[in-house]
Amino acid sequence: MAGILGIYLFDERWNAYRFGLFGLLALQHRGQEGYGLELLGKSRKRIIGKGSVEDTTISSTVEGHVCIGATLPYQLEGDNAQPIQLTEKVSVVLDGKIISIEGYDWDSSTSYEENLRKAFVKIEKERSSIEALRDYFSRCEGGFSYIAVNENMEMIAGRDAFGVKPLVLGKIGFEGGVVASESCAVDIIGERVPISPVEDIEPGEARIFTPLSTYTERVSEEPRRAYCSFEYVYLARPDSYINGIPIYKVRKNIGKKIAEEDNVDADVVIGVPETATPFAMAYSSVRGIPVEKGFELTGRRVRSAIKPNQFERLKGIQLKLNVISEVVRGKRVVLIDDSVVRGNTLANIIYLMKEKGAKEVHVRIGSPPIVSHCPFGVEVPPEDELIGRHLTEERIARVVGADSFKYLSLDSLVEAIGLPERKLCLGCFNGTYPKVCKR
Amino acid sequence: MKVLLVGGGGREHAIAKAFSRSTYNPRIYCISELVNPGIFKIVKDSRGEYRRGDINNPEEVLNAAKDFGVDFVFIGPEEPNFHGVPDKLEENGIPCIGANKSVAELELSKASMRDLQWKYNIPGRLWYKKFRSIEEALPYLEEYAESIALKPARQVGGKGVKVIEDFQVYLQEDKKKIKKEHAKEIIENYMKGHDDVNYKLLIEERVWGPEYTVQCFTDGRTVLPTPAVQDNKHAFDGDLGPETGGMGSISCGLNIKWGINDERAILTEDEFYKSVEIIKSMIEAIQKETGKHYHGIVAGQMMYTPVWGPTIIEMYSRFGDPESVNVLSLLKTDLVEISEAIISEKLNTIKLEFEEKAVVVKCVSPEGYPEKRNLAKGHKVTVDKEREEILWASADLREDGSIVSGGSRLIECVGIGNTIPEASEKAEKLIEVVKLSDGWKLFHRKDIGTESLLSRRIELAKLAREIYLYREKKGLVGKRITWIPGKGLEEVG
Repeated sequence: MAGILGIYLFDERWNAYRFGLFGLLALQHRGQEGYGLELLGKSRKRIIGKGSVEDTTISSTVEGHVCIGATLPYQLEGDNAQPIQLTEKVSVVLDGKIISIEGYDWDSSTSYEENLRKAFVKIEKERSSIEALRDYFSRCEGGFSYIAVNENMEMIAGRDAFGVKPLVLGKIGFEGGVVASESCAVDIIGERVPISPVEDIEPGEARIFTPLSTYTERVSEEPRRAYCSFEYVYLARPDSYINGIPIYKVRKNIGKKIAEEDNVDADVVIGVPETATPFAMAYSSVRGIPVEKGFELTGRRVRSAIKPNQFERLKGIQLKLNVISEVVRGKRVVLIDDSVVRGNTLANIIYLMKEKGAKEVHVRIGSPPIVSHCPFGVEVPPEDELIGRHLTEERIARVVGADSFKYLSLDSLVEAIGLPERKLCLGCFNGTYPKVCKR
Repeated sequence: MKVLLVGGGGREHAIAKAFSRSTYNPRIYCISELVNPGIFKIVKDSRGEYRRGDINNPEEVLNAAKDFGVDFVFIGPEEPNFHGVPDKLEENGIPCIGANKSVAELELSKASMRDLQWKYNIPGRLWYKKFRSIEEALPYLEEYAESIALKPARQVGGKGVKVIEDFQVYLQEDKKKIKKEHAKEIIENYMKGHDDVNYKLLIEERVWGPEYTVQCFTDGRTVLPTPAVQDNKHAFDGDLGPETGGMGSISCGLNIKWGINDERAILTEDEFYKSVEIIKSMIEAIQKETGKHYHGIVAGQMMYTPVWGPTIIEMYSRFGDPESVNVLSLLKTDLVEISEAIISEKLNTIKLEFEEKAVVVKCVSPEGYPEKRNLAKGHKVTVDKEREEILWASADLREDGSIVSGGSRLIECVGIGNTIPEASEKAEKLIEVVKLSDGWKLFHRKDIGTESLLSRRIELAKLAREIYLYREKKGLVGKRITWIPGKGLEEVG
C-alpha cells in the first residue's frame, strides 16, 4: 500500500514543489514511514524522506513544473525507494503490487524493484520512451496503480486492468492536472469545486501528459472489475471518493448495517478513532444510543494499524487512545472498530476501558473477519497470525476481554459499498482473488 | 444579390453556409487572410469570388466591396470592428452587418465594458480593478491574495486570460509569483502594440458556475436572441489544460437541454431570458454613451454564478466561434432577410426560427495549439472525404489545391441529433476524416457533450442555482460583505 501523486503543470513558470509536498501530506494516511518526491523542470531532483512529510524543510532550490511522489508504509533506500528509478531517465511511483510482467522471467534471487527495472530495460529497446512505458504497463499484471515520468517531460498514470487500486484525475484550474490515489489530495492542492473534484481513471486506462497535450488511453483490456473493498473499510480517507463512491457514505452505511444486525442493550456507543467514528455515529442514530467521544489523543495523529511492528502498533494505540473515564465509568459500552487483524491492539483498548470502569464492552467490527493475505501490497500479516481466520466470535470475545463480539457479514459489507460483489476484490475476507495472470 | 463575407474561420464558414441556404441565392464573396477551403467552395458554387487580404484594413475591405459591387457586407470576427471597417463601409454607402468601432468598445475594452456595467447598474457585474502599468499592479498583487482572473484590458483574440484560484495559504507564495509574472506578461506581450485602450491589465474576481454564450442579432432597436450555447474552454479532455478559443460547444433548445424532449437542462428558460435582458441593457447603455446605433451581432459570454445568477464574463461584438456553428446550423430564418432587416432597422418584423435539435460541435487542432501555435502551423492536411458536417476553421487553401494548417483549430465537426449525447457521438464519428500528412498529431475533446460531462455541468448549474436563490431571498445578490478585523465592515455592490 502507498499513496501516489503526480502533478503536471502546463506552464513552465510554475513550481510544483509545494503542490507536491502538500499533496503527499494529504496522502500520508496511506503510508507514514517514508515519502519520496521527484521534481522535473530545467533540472531534475529526487527527494527521499523518512516519517512525516510535515517534517520536510522546504528547500528554496528545488523546482520543476512536473512532479511525482509517494507516501509509503515502509522505508527503502537508494534506487529502490520511491520514486523507483527504472532507468536514469525514467522514474515511477507505485501503489500495490505488480505480480508478473509479460515477456519477462521474474528473477526471484533479486529484489522486487530490481525485477521491475530489468523488465523495463528489456521492453524499452529503442522506442520513444512514452511508447515504451505504455507498453511496459500494458504487460504488467497484478493489482497496482502507477505514475511514471521520463526525460521528455512525459507522464503516464494508470490502473491495472482490474482497478484493484484507486487512482483519480483532478485539476488545478487552467494550470494543470493532478493524479492521485485519492481525491482528498486534489481537495488540498487543487481547485475547490462544489461537486466531486475528480473523475476516476478507469481500470486498464492510462492518462498521458506531454508538453503539448493530455489524453486518456486504454492500455489493457478490462477482464472484470475488482475494486479493493478494504479501501472502503479502512484505507481511504473519509473525505475521499473511491471509484466515484464517497468513502464517508460507505462508512455510515456500515454503521447502519451493524446497528440493524444488533440488539445488545447499551448506554453509550464509541468508535475507535479515526476510521470507526462515522460507523459509531450511524450506529447511534439507528439504535438511539448516544455516541460519545471515548478517547483523547496524545501527540501526533498516527495510523496505528499500519505501523510496521507490534511495539509501534501498541505505542500508537496507547498514545492515541487514552480513555476518557467520564464517558465509560459504570456504562455498558458498544465499541466499534473498523477491522481486527491480530486482536492484540483491540485487547489493549478493552483492557484500558475496563480499567477506567466500563461495566460491559460489546465489540462490533465494521468488516468481516480478515482470513487471508493481500497479494496486492496491503500489509496483512501471515495467515497464522490472523485471529479471525482461526477463532469464532465467542472465542475472540473471550480472548480480547469483551462481553460480546460481532463482525459485519460479507453481504452487508457489499451492500454498504453499493457495488455488486463481482466488481469487488474481497480477497482478504474470503480468500478469493481476481485472476491476475493471463496464463 | 451579392454579399461580402469578411473573415475566413469556422464561424465564417457557418455564416457562408447559412447564406448559401437563402432563397435569394446570393452570390457570396469572401475576403480573409487565409483561404478557407470550405468557404472557397461555397463562393465558387455561388459564382462569387474569394480575395486574400487584410481584413483589418478598412480600405482593403472597402475596395473589395466596391470591386465586387456587393449589396452588403457581413463581418465575421471582432478585429475588423475594432479597426473601424463597418464605419468605413457605411461612410461609403455600403451597408454592413458589424458593430461600429464605437459600439464595439463593449468587446474591445474589457475595462470600459465593466465601467459601463457598473455605471448603469446592470446586473451580473463582477468586481474588478484596472491598471495602466505593471508598477500600478504589483503592489496590489503583493497585498491581496485572492482568487482572480488576470485579463488583458483589451480583447486580444481571447488570449492571455489566466484564472488563479488562491485560497490555500500554503500555496500562496507560488501563486503570487505566477500572478505577478503573468501580469507582466500581459502588459509587455499580450498588450504589445495595442494602444487603442487606456488600460493594460484588468483583474476580476474569480467566480464559478456553468458558462454559456447568448448570441443575438440587433439593429439597435430590437434584440433577437439565438439559443444559448455552452462552449468548452479547456484544451483537453476532463476540463484540463490551458484556455483556448473553444474546443467545442453544445446546445439544445433555448436553455441547453439534455434533449429536445427532456426536462434536464443547464439553464432554466427564465435564466435564459434574464441573460438576454442583461445583453439588451448593455446595448442600450453603449448606445446612450456613444449616440450610435448597434447594427450587427452582439453576444454575452456568460456564467451562471452563485453571486449574481446570470453574470457577464465578456461581451462579444460578433458571433462566438465555435458557438455560432450551433445556432447557424439550425437557423431556419433566411439570413439575407435578417441582414436586410438589420440594415433597415426593421428587425422587429423578423421572427427567428430554429430547428428543434441538439447540436454538438467538436474542434480538432494540431498539437501545439493553444500555447505553442507555431508548432501547430504549416502542416499539410489530407481529407479522407469532404463532408457537409465538417467546417474548416484555421486552414489555408493554397494555389496548388493543397490545404495547410493555420496554427489554431483546424476543423469543426458538427453533430446534430435529438439529444446532446447523441449529437456528440455523431460529431465524434467525423473526427477521423481529416489528418496531417506529416504525421503530426491532431487532438480534440472526446468528452464534449457526453452523458458524463453533461451530467456534471447540469449538477454544477444546480448547485450554483441553489446558492443564488438563497442569496436572492436574503437580498444578497451581487453583494460582497467582509469583516476586516480592526477596520470594520466593508461592503461592495
